[in-house]
Amino acid sequence: MRRIFILTPLLVLLIICIFSLVYLLSGKDPNKPPSALLNKDVPIFESTSLYNSKEIIKTIDIKNKKTLINFFASWCSPCKIEHPLFFEIRKKHPELYLLGFNHKDPTTDAKKYLEDDGNPYDFVGVDADGLIALEFGVFGLPETYLINEDGKIIFKFMGPITKDVLKNEIEPLL
Amino acid sequence: MFFTFKIYALENIDERVKNLTLELRCMTCQNQSIYDSDAEFSNDIKKIVKQKLQAGESERDIKKFLVERYGEYILFRPLMNYNNIFLWSFPFILLIIGVFFVLIKTKTKKA
Repeated sequence: MRRIFILTPLLVLLIICIFSLVYLLSGKDPNKPPSALLNKDVPIFESTSLYNSKEIIKTIDIKNKKTLINFFASWCSPCKIEHPLFFEIRKKHPELYLLGFNHKDPTTDAKKYLEDDGNPYDFVGVDADGLIALEFGVFGLPETYLINEDGKIIFKFMGPITKDVLKNEIEPLL
Repeated sequence: MFFTFKIYALENIDERVKNLTLELRCMTCQNQSIYDSDAEFSNDIKKIVKQKLQAGESERDIKKFLVERYGEYILFRPLMNYNNIFLWSFPFILLIIGVFFVLIKTKTKKA
């Protein structure tokens, strides 16, 4: 009886350690921390079009629309890898609003990139100083966000999206 | 005198930027603070921190602004909140268990 009494705190400690270990090893990639904005309202933004500086897009313009937001740049090689997949999304889900934010890119380079590789976006907004990316908590390109009709961020992906990500993570949410 | 004050204010802001960014993690580097990193992300954050300090915002407000966007991961020192209660209390749990064992041991020796 006395032995059990002495061993109880050790057992409690062991259980705590096992739970912590399971939590730490539960498949979380430390290089991809969870987004702080997930399930929160899409940040307030305002951006001019890459093609027409008089055309502006604001947060309110994507209200009641399921929107896929993609941060890209012509200098970003991984962006090139995922780029063709946006045409696939466009084809499969014409109702989805595709919004691209061109991040810290000279306008001519961005236009040339979209001319060469094609433009899958409904609107290409300019994020010349990176402030829109900052509001979205972007820390590396490319990054993709899915916004639901209520204006909440329901999915975020860091890095280039792949066919698997598209099939298993994005499409079920569309 | 105004000139001296202006230089002092600038140095003070730079010092505050340094102190604050030393506490922030560069999200694109391996275990480097934003202050120590030259990554584009870190330079952007340094710029934002400086702008906000110049605008009169407190360190606390700036940290809150960054945590809202990048999550607590951006802070080297975890926040003292409900989510981190286990993290902060674990040393005390260990201490209590240790004291318990020392007490038991002394009691057994005395007996």
